[in-house]
Amino acid sequence: MSPLNTLLTALRGISSNALRTTLTTLGIVIGVASVIATLALGNGARAAVNANFRFLGSDQVQIDQDLELKNGQMQAQGKTLTYEDGLNMPSAVPLVDRAEMTVSGSAKLRYGRQTDDINFQGTDAGALLTVISQGQVQPVGWPSNKPLTPKDFIGQGRFFTDAEVLAGDSVCVLGYQTALDLFEGDNPIGQTVWVNRKPCQVIGVLAELEALNVEDRINTRPNDGLFLPVSFAIQNLFDTEPWVTIIAHVTDESKMEEAKAEIATYLRQRHGIPKGPDGKYADDFHMTTKQDVLGAQQQSAATFSLLLTALAIVSLVVGGIGIMNVMLVSVSERTREIGVRMAVGARGRDVVAQFLLEAVLLSAGGGLLGIAVGILTVPIAASLNQGVALLDPNSVPLAFGVSLVTGLVFGLYPALRASQLDPIEALRYE
Amino acid sequence: MKIIQTENLTRTYAVGSSTVNALRGVSLAVEMGEFVALMGPSGSGKSTMMHLLGCLDTPSAGSYWLEERDVSKLSKDERAEVRNNRIGFIFQTFNLLPRLNALENIALPLLYGRHGGDVNKQASEALGRVGLKPRARHKPNELSGGERQRVAIARALVTSPALILADEPTGNLDSKTGAEIMRLLVELCAEGHTILMVTHDAKVASHAGRILQMQDGEIVEERSTDVTA
Repeated sequence: MSPLNTLLTALRGISSNALRTTLTTLGIVIGVASVIATLALGNGARAAVNANFRFLGSDQVQIDQDLELKNGQMQAQGKTLTYEDGLNMPSAVPLVDRAEMTVSGSAKLRYGRQTDDINFQGTDAGALLTVISQGQVQPVGWPSNKPLTPKDFIGQGRFFTDAEVLAGDSVCVLGYQTALDLFEGDNPIGQTVWVNRKPCQVIGVLAELEALNVEDRINTRPNDGLFLPVSFAIQNLFDTEPWVTIIAHVTDESKMEEAKAEIATYLRQRHGIPKGPDGKYADDFHMTTKQDVLGAQQQSAATFSLLLTALAIVSLVVGGIGIMNVMLVSVSERTREIGVRMAVGARGRDVVAQFLLEAVLLSAGGGLLGIAVGILTVPIAASLNQGVALLDPNSVPLAFGVSLVTGLVFGLYPALRASQLDPIEALRYE
Repeated sequence: MKIIQTENLTRTYAVGSSTVNALRGVSLAVEMGEFVALMGPSGSGKSTMMHLLGCLDTPSAGSYWLEERDVSKLSKDERAEVRNNRIGFIFQTFNLLPRLNALENIALPLLYGRHGGDVNKQASEALGRVGLKPRARHKPNELSGGERQRVAIARALVTSPALILADEPTGNLDSKTGAEIMRLLVELCAEGHTILMVTHDAKVASHAGRILQMQDGEIVEERSTDVTA
C-alpha cells in the first residue's frame, strides 16, 4: 500500500473514535510537556550562569581571601592574600601565564569643594572588566543577547593601561554617577581629583550601567565608583597591607583542576599552611572557576529537573501503555476488517504499517499538544525556580521525537498482533 | 486453460491430540469460464476447500495450480499477492468495511499490491458493472442487502481476477434479491469470468454449469446442469 494511502487509512482509523483517542494521549501530553519544562530549567540555569559570569572566562580561576567577622568587621582569615602573591604566581605556577589582582576599599574623593565618600576598586587594566562583570551590570538598555566587549563599558576617555598599573601611576576612572556628582556636568577628563588627599588624574568615565537582574536595579548603585591602578591603591589608600582578589589565567583550559592544585600548592607554600592531621589543608583562600559556578547553579535546578524527569518518564510509559491498550482494543474490534483487508491482498507488513502508523499518529498528536502545554508551562516553572527557566528551542524537536518513539515502541506489539491474525479466523470473527 | 487444478488436495487439522481430516485428497479441475457450485452439508469440507482454493490456507498435502502456477507452497506474503491479483472473494455477510463508502470499498484491493492506473476510475467502472453508480458515496449501512452484495461483487471484480470465489452469496438475502444476485453471477460467467460458489441451497446451485457434491472431505458426486439462466 502506498504511504499516502496508509496514512489516510490510519487517520480514518483514529478519527473513528475521537474521544477515546484524545483521552489516550493524555499521558503523552503530560510526558512531553515535562520534557520541555525539564530542559527549560537546565537551559535557564545555563543562561543565568552565562549572563552573570560573562567575563569570568572558562580559562580563569578566581582566588579570594577567606574572611571572618572580627570586632564587627570582615577581616582576612589567616595570612593575607597579597598583591605579591598574585604578582609572582605566573612565574611560580607553570599552568598560569597571567594573574590580575584587584583590591577594594573606601575613600574620600574630592574635586574643588565637592566631596564624596566612595568605594573604590584597585584593579589591573584587564581585571577591571572582571570587576564590572561581578557587579552583574551592563550598559543601560543593553540587549540581553548581544555580547559585551570591554569598550562597551567606557563612556568617556579610556581605561588605564598595563604600563600605568605597573608604574603605579596616579590615574583613575570614575563611575557615571560619581562623575556627575563631582563635576556637575563639566568635562572630568584630564582634571585632578583628590583621593584621601592624594592627587589623581581622571582619564576616563564609565558608561551608565544598570544591574543585569531587573529586581536588583533598585538596590544596586553600579554607577557610583572609582577605579584606580591596583598598585597605586595599595601603596596610597591602605594603612596595612590589604587582601586582593586574584584572577589567574590558565594556559590550558583542559587542565583547570591541575591548575587549581598547582595554585593551591603555591599559595600554601607562601602562606606556610601545613597539612593537617586529617590530611587536609586549613586554607585561607578559596578558588572559583566558571565550571564551579555553573555546577552550583545547575545543582539548584537539578532537584526540580529530576522530579520533572521522573514525571516525564512515568507519564510517557503510562501514555505509551495507554496507546498500547487502545490499539489492542482497536485491533480486537477491527478483527473482521483486518480479515477483509488480508483477503483482498493486504500483506502482514501492510497491516503492521496501518496500525503502527495509527499508534504513531496518536502519540504524535499527544506530542504536539504536550509541546504546546510545555511551552505554556515554562513561565510557571520559572516562577517556582527563582526565575531560572528558559525555553530550549532544541527541546521542541526532541520532545516531538520522544513522542514518536513512544508511539512506535508501544504501537509495535498491537500492530504485530494484528498482522499475525489468521485471515480465515479473522473473517469469521463476530 | 485450466484455472483450477488440484491433485490429491489434503488438509488435516490437529484438534487436541487427535487429527481431523477436513479434506481427503481432492482432485479437481476447473476450466476458464466455468461456473462451478460446491455443495455439501456442514462439515463436508467445502469451506476448507474454499479456503485452500482462495489461497487463505495451505494444504497439508497435495498440489494446487492456479492458472497453471503451483500455489500450494507459497509464503504468506506470496499468497496475499495471489489473492490480491488473481482471486476475488464474495462472502455471505458481504464483509464491506463500514467506514468506507461503496466506491472506497471497491477500490480497497487496488490499494494493496502493484496496480497501475486510476484507482477511482477502475472502481467506478466496477461499480457501474453491478449497476450501482448512483450509490458510489453511500456507506454500507445506507445500502440494502442486495446493494451491499453488489458492491462486494464489484470489489471482487475490480482487479480482473482469474477466479471469483463466492461463499453462500445469497445466504443473507431474501429469495427475490438472491435471484437477482445469481442472475448477476451468471452474467459475469457469461462474460468469461470463472466462478466457484459454495452453497447448500440446491436451487442456487442449479445456476452453475457443474455441481460438485462433497461429503466427509471428498467429492462424492459430480453432475452437469444445462440450466444457465
